[in-house]
Amino acid sequence: MNRQAHPNSSRRGIRGVMKTGALTSIAAAAVAASLPLAAHHSFSAEFDASKEIKATGAVTKLDWQNPHGWIHLTVTEICERAAAGRGPDAVEQEWACRAPDSNEGAADWAFELGSPNGLMRQGWTRNSLKQGDVVTVLGSRARDGSTNSNARSVTTADGKRLFAGSSQDATP
Amino acid sequence: MPKTKTTPDDGSRPSPHLPTGATAVRVALSSLVVLTWTAGASAQWAPVPDPNVPRDAEGNVVLDAPPPRTAAGTPDLSGLWMRTRSGPPPENGGGGGGGGQLEPAQAPVPLDPNGPPIAAFFEAGQNIEGGLPYTPWAKELRDQRFALRARDNPDAQCMPMGFLQFHQQPQPRMIIQTEKLILIEYEANYGLRHIYLDGRELPPQGEPQPWWYGYSVGRWDGDDLVVETNNLRGADEDSPYDGWMDVNGSPYTRQAKFTERFRRPTFGHLQIDLTLEDPKAYTKPWTVRIDQRLLPDQELIEFVCNENQQFERRIKLNQEPASEPSSTP
Repeated sequence: MNRQAHPNSSRRGIRGVMKTGALTSIAAAAVAASLPLAAHHSFSAEFDASKEIKATGAVTKLDWQNPHGWIHLTVTEICERAAAGRGPDAVEQEWACRAPDSNEGAADWAFELGSPNGLMRQGWTRNSLKQGDVVTVLGSRARDGSTNSNARSVTTADGKRLFAGSSQDATP
Repeated sequence: MPKTKTTPDDGSRPSPHLPTGATAVRVALSSLVVLTWTAGASAQWAPVPDPNVPRDAEGNVVLDAPPPRTAAGTPDLSGLWMRTRSGPPPENGGGGGGGGQLEPAQAPVPLDPNGPPIAAFFEAGQNIEGGLPYTPWAKELRDQRFALRARDNPDAQCMPMGFLQFHQQPQPRMIIQTEKLILIEYEANYGLRHIYLDGRELPPQGEPQPWWYGYSVGRWDGDDLVVETNNLRGADEDSPYDGWMDVNGSPYTRQAKFTERFRRPTFGHLQIDLTLEDPKAYTKPWTVRIDQRLLPDQELIEFVCNENQQFERRIKLNQEPASEPSSTP
């Protein structure tokens, strides 16, 4: 099925395509995922905190742009679960994993990051990921059921984890 | 492609923000505790050492040194400031800072038991006993905004926020103090306030016309800078993006008068007590405190919000609104 151009794709050509991998130079391991970074857009108007997603795939593009960066993947595995909620009664659910279905397709899943200023304070640069890097992104799915999601963290194949600057905890 | 219809909240936290309270605060704080802050060492915006800050023998900034003073003898509030935790969280789940912020794990600012309640980011009145004293009009508006998942919050539209939201935004703010004028530049959405210190009077409400940042006049009261602001655009007469006190939608109106007391108890600590008088929205004035921590040797980083602002397009603004939240904080 043909998919429309991703609404967040830059209209100015491929910007922010990574040239060199510098991830290993970024010491951002063990950053707590619940810390907000660049507070911005209305998280809850766009994303559903109750629907967690964990997607693994190869980086196709990093949009290093305001008010949010976006990381684009060709995914090989999608895992979903209901959020555990919060509080003493919270129960962590099992992930249900699958390959992307035919409606979704594998290409151009997009995950919202924080803004470049905040990402820089977390140690990111626009060259932090390069095309083809395999990463796992943890986040929340869009309310509209699209292949957009909000990223809370990005973990590389060698286990490095970058805090993604989710707008979940600090924005409308 | 079939679109999954949005189903209202299915047991998760209600929109637009998860209910606040003890649990959420504890979760946030425990996350802070486990945080290992290492990004700064490799951050790409290199710190530039400031020769005018007190340092110990190892070169570390002495954050609990006395505050700097101007030639005229007043405290100098200049610096780059980041919202910080105020603690410890009391039993009722207050304190904290409401929603967390970007910050390395470190001790919270000591809580002054005689101070006003600590402000919270999502719900301004989270730590006020009984919540904010809304008028019925304001409560209805706040609930309408909340039910729409705060999509009209000015931050989501790259617009200037209310002062309380600006003060708590987890992007820093730069205070530039001169003898007759103080500027506060908020990294978030490039907010910029002018506070006149030349002795002029606060103008009457309604003159001049209302502005996003209103009209601010400051004066020194001992070591406190007292800033009064009126002539603000408001939720009652301007756009849906006007008059937001917090993320969840607590309003202010054109009748609003803000009084902010800025003080710098130590070199590294800025305290802001914000009072809102707004008889159309609140049955009585209320005050909250925001603590800020100095970010020495750091700078603002550009944030041009409108570069690729696609929020409204993505959320499909004409979609049906969310259901009424089942509970309110």
